Amino acid sequence: MSETKYLETHEWYIVDGDNVTVGISDYAQGELGDIVFVTLPEVGQEFSKGDAIVEVEATKTVAEAYAPMNCVITEVNSTLETEPELINNDPVGEGWMVKAEIKEMDDSGMSYQQYESFIS
Amino acid sequence: MSESKTTSLYEFHLSKNAKIIDFAGWSMPFSYDGTLKEHHYVRESAGYFDVSHMGRLRLNYSQIEEINYLICSDLKNISNTKALYSIFISEDGTAIDDVIFWKFEDDLILICNASNTNKIKTHLDIHSINYEDLTMNTDLVAVQGKNAIDIVTNIMSVPDKFSTSKEGKYVYARTGYTGEDGLEVMLDSNDTLGFISELEAKGVKPCGLGSRDTLRLEASLPLYGFELTDDISPIEAGLKWTVTNKDDYLGKEVIDHQIESKEHKHLKRFKLNAKQIARTGTICISDGVEGIVTSGNISPILGYPIGFVLFKSNPADDLVEFDIRGNLIEGNLLYKRFLS
Repeated sequence: MSETKYLETHEWYIVDGDNVTVGISDYAQGELGDIVFVTLPEVGQEFSKGDAIVEVEATKTVAEAYAPMNCVITEVNSTLETEPELINNDPVGEGWMVKAEIKEMDDSGMSYQQYESFIS
Repeated sequence: MSESKTTSLYEFHLSKNAKIIDFAGWSMPFSYDGTLKEHHYVRESAGYFDVSHMGRLRLNYSQIEEINYLICSDLKNISNTKALYSIFISEDGTAIDDVIFWKFEDDLILICNASNTNKIKTHLDIHSINYEDLTMNTDLVAVQGKNAIDIVTNIMSVPDKFSTSKEGKYVYARTGYTGEDGLEVMLDSNDTLGFISELEAKGVKPCGLGSRDTLRLEASLPLYGFELTDDISPIEAGLKWTVTNKDDYLGKEVIDHQIESKEHKHLKRFKLNAKQIARTGTICISDGVEGIVTSGNISPILGYPIGFVLFKSNPADDLVEFDIRGNLIEGNLLYKRFLS
């Protein structure tokens, strides 16, 4: 499994062979405040890099998580439907949002160190 | 842009790791432990809020007639131990600000929204009403919650609901903005930290403006700038109960006409059976009547999205369709308060 990479739009992703797991960063969940609803995509739905894949409603505002690369959804974290607070409590672990099969690899995300200096 | 003002508790908020936001020109705590947690502190136990950004003006009873002329409620004839929610009305019948008056035997205090303090002062100036601005040398702390009264009984004597009291360093009223019982306490800035330590020792938790907003929305209370503006009258905002002024007052003709004709905008409560929140500015339609959401959020107690919507006229149907980022989401208008 490769390292966790970050996008300027505050998603994280981890590439594992042909698959990628996506969520939002700790910084993003902190900015959103309490997350109360998550709208996940369907398994089999296809996304291009930059498409909105998940909609996150928080007490403060609404946000979308974008696809880090062209991919097809293979699994969604349906626990988030009933426990959206997992994203606040453990954004880069239990709060993962989707797993997808990579259609076109694009590993251009930032390292954690680069992302940290990007948000500070 | 001028620098943000801070309350005397600013350093204290930072020491509590509060998330700070700019609100009406003030740097205020948005949350400490998180909006939802703080919401539940108040619904289940008790929380305190620094609301020292709100304007506090001391008025004189010698000008009670002149003051009464500017509001839609009967401030003049209620007892000098009462707290009164009222609205300053413009000549056009719209709301200049919604405020609380604290009446004491020897004192009359007006509490206004932080965003409107300057507007209210100018309005009073125009009508030659004298005031002493207490905002910068006092603080205002709201203690609210299911157990708030039980807790503060150990600190000060508790007046009846919507009544005022003064005791030692505390000037206060049994009022609030959360739907729960509680006190709003004004005190000298030098005494505030001591009061807060007493509250914290009794288990009262700090709460920020985030939960203040979800609490007031869930309690069906309007927020100036959203449900009430200088383009919305109290009648349109569903606040006809505040119109108790029997004398002539500024804007009375328009208000009376709206009450009689029912030809005006209508503010309604709504709920959604969806996982989308219809936020401020969301357009909707009910029975062919167009509306715009003034406030919307989750109700943490009910678990679904709620809000207020302002319609151009009174829709005959309770079904309403919201355009949330291009998706049409169905909701229902409610004729009762969100929480029973």
